[in-house]
Amino acid sequence: MPFQAPAEGVLLPPYRVLDLTGPEGVFCGKLLADYGAEVIKVEPPTGDVTRQRPPFISDVPGIERSSYFLFYNTNKKSVTVDLETSEGQVVFKKLAASADVLIESFPVNYMQSLGLDYDSLRQVNPGLIMASITPFGQTGPWKDYKSTDLISLAASGFMQITGDPDGPPLRQGNEQSHFPGAQHAATAIMGALFYRDMQDGRGQYIDVSMQEAMITYYTDAHPALAYIQRGENVTRVGTNSTLVIPLGAYPSKDGWISAGIITPREWENLSNWMFEVTGNEEILNEDYKGGNQDRAPYNDIITALVIDFTTRFTSEELFHQGQERNLVFIPVNTVSDLLVDPQLDASNFWFDIDHADAGNLKYPLGVFDSEEVTPTTNPAPYLGQDNEVIFGELGLDEAELASLRTRGVI
Amino acid sequence: MVERKKPLSGVRILELGPYVALPLTGRILASLGAEVIKVETNKVLDEMNFIPAWSRGGGQPEFQRAKKRVTIDVRTPGGLEVFKELVKVSDVFMSNFRRNILDRWGVDFPELRRLRQDIIIMWQTGLGGIGPYYTYKSYGILVQHMGGVSLMSGEEGEPPATINTSYSDYHTGVFQPVAIMGALLRRGLTGQPATMESSIFKSGAVTAGPSLLDYQSTGRLPERIGNRDRFASPHGVYQCLGEDRWCAIAVQTEDQWVDFCKAIGNPNWCSEDSFSTMTARLENQNRLDDLVGGWTLTRTAEDVMECLQGVGVPASVVSQGKDLNESLHLKARGFYQKTPYYLADRGNPAYDWEQFEGIASANPPKMSETPMDFGHYSNIGEDNDYVFKEILGMSQSDVDKLTENQSLY
Repeated sequence: MPFQAPAEGVLLPPYRVLDLTGPEGVFCGKLLADYGAEVIKVEPPTGDVTRQRPPFISDVPGIERSSYFLFYNTNKKSVTVDLETSEGQVVFKKLAASADVLIESFPVNYMQSLGLDYDSLRQVNPGLIMASITPFGQTGPWKDYKSTDLISLAASGFMQITGDPDGPPLRQGNEQSHFPGAQHAATAIMGALFYRDMQDGRGQYIDVSMQEAMITYYTDAHPALAYIQRGENVTRVGTNSTLVIPLGAYPSKDGWISAGIITPREWENLSNWMFEVTGNEEILNEDYKGGNQDRAPYNDIITALVIDFTTRFTSEELFHQGQERNLVFIPVNTVSDLLVDPQLDASNFWFDIDHADAGNLKYPLGVFDSEEVTPTTNPAPYLGQDNEVIFGELGLDEAELASLRTRGVI
Repeated sequence: MVERKKPLSGVRILELGPYVALPLTGRILASLGAEVIKVETNKVLDEMNFIPAWSRGGGQPEFQRAKKRVTIDVRTPGGLEVFKELVKVSDVFMSNFRRNILDRWGVDFPELRRLRQDIIIMWQTGLGGIGPYYTYKSYGILVQHMGGVSLMSGEEGEPPATINTSYSDYHTGVFQPVAIMGALLRRGLTGQPATMESSIFKSGAVTAGPSLLDYQSTGRLPERIGNRDRFASPHGVYQCLGEDRWCAIAVQTEDQWVDFCKAIGNPNWCSEDSFSTMTARLENQNRLDDLVGGWTLTRTAEDVMECLQGVGVPASVVSQGKDLNESLHLKARGFYQKTPYYLADRGNPAYDWEQFEGIASANPPKMSETPMDFGHYSNIGEDNDYVFKEILGMSQSDVDKLTENQSLY
């Protein structure tokens, strides 16, 4: 591909990225698409399976109405190819020859079984950068093990440290296992593009294991190191820490508020404030003063006093009044809170996108706020909407396209 | 012999700030070949050197290795001058200090641009750099609650579910390298620099996308269904032999149910009508979970996993530190590598850093042409000579003078 500059106000050059991923990698292509790459979702003629995933806009089912699909495919284009037919493979190779990047998350060796592995594709495009995002990576004894969001959260150890100490390991919601691998893959793809285009390098293959990526997403707990150093298995501590008091989530007048007292100065500010409000002198006890772990022996009594204090305020009151006293109280938000949050409003976080079926909705796209560059705002693609243009560019004429369509190849 | 180029060879990045997200960004860029100069001072140490879970600093190599570590006290006139000289020869400046602190130190954005017209600025905060929370203080472990995910986890009516770590920081830490490399590419092609602001709050909130669209469309808040799944059963973690040992199992299709039943020896309950279809299993999942849990309870988590994966049913031990450390799979992929770390006695103002051996994770992306560097983990100030003398061309007597008055310390 000719190497072009990014358009005015856009971060990335219009790199052509072929996105063949399922949920394991869909966020990777989305990041690149939101910041200006030409990301083409390559779907089977029946459509990506996540088009069928509820909930649907206004609860009316339809392949252009899945909230999941609409969010994760914003700013992408769509072509359809049946990769399991030899004609489809020929078309796909032409497409790969025109691309800068290919991202996939199929089971290990699936692309090879189609003759579309990296070694085959680089014959037609030596500059191609191909990234595979899979549960356990391309090598090692677990490479063919089956996974799901739950299984990945278990295998990485995320669940071991989420939830209540008296209960079972807990899954984090929102399919959190699908972010670390996708994000790491995006960094490696950017590095590989920079290498190819700014350092006169070649294309390359990138193997990302979701398990490894997830392990690096909680290295401040670092269970493997803790085990080596102290023979301990790091585990769940529930909503509130048992070491740092107070640290965690506490009930407020209208919901939940999280709080963390880390420095001795913060404790002094909080205990004085609590005394002012409750009139209970117990909180000023000399034994409770000091650094963040000095109150661990008094967890029960201090936590009870903290709850007596927090339940006298709304979460918003504690959030703002805490800051006036150099104390960190953070509201526990749900999605409806995010949509009205003044901070997100002020920092170019939301972008209106109008989609013919889904209507006009606010999309959270502004991971970065910048005066120089902003995200692009095209709605998620209709199934196969870009077949004519993109396959046309590859030299397939109307008759060929019609024939492929009739036989279900595209 | 010419040294083989790395993706970011020739790119110099100045990093100013503690904790997780920002240092992680620097570490990833350093592993891709950038020269990342981490500016810190012996007087105000990164709190992460003392996090107890790491046995005081054991996890620091995750965030600090592969960098050049220099000690500059930017709050002194001499230190500030040296810092400004470094700005002039850097491509990227990144910081997570509150902007009013940077202003107070005399390194506000216009000053940075005056020193280096085309410098790329990445400015990271907890809650946001502009807008009403602009001066707010925050901690990453709490900001995970702000993005909406803790009220999508756990069970309805229960307290918000917390992960015992500063989780949202990592989203930010791995988003930022993408933006910085994008900005470097863009500058290379157009000559235009960029200033970008990121926050841990936004990085967390962006992941709530589908639920945000659903709420706008239907007014519905995300369901909290614990370890269960809307479409699959059995689906959960089941207790196994041993202390706090669990195996996660997810049966997603009818075929997998048949294989699951066969693998566990087709007990009578497998052929009950109440479990014969996914719809039936979802309806009767309380009883089904008890029965599956009865089967796992007499077996080790490893046996359960191998038995089910052997027939292609998704299952995994809930990994503990011991499992990760001893995993043959992770070993085969060379995931954990040895690294030194350094331990300081906080009560001793001279900070004699003692060296120990620990482990750190390799970079998850395995790149065929340009493998990411694991990198050497320098001790604090270890690279002072290289940075001050070789990069800035300072004389030994200049360095000595500034060290003596603690501008470089």
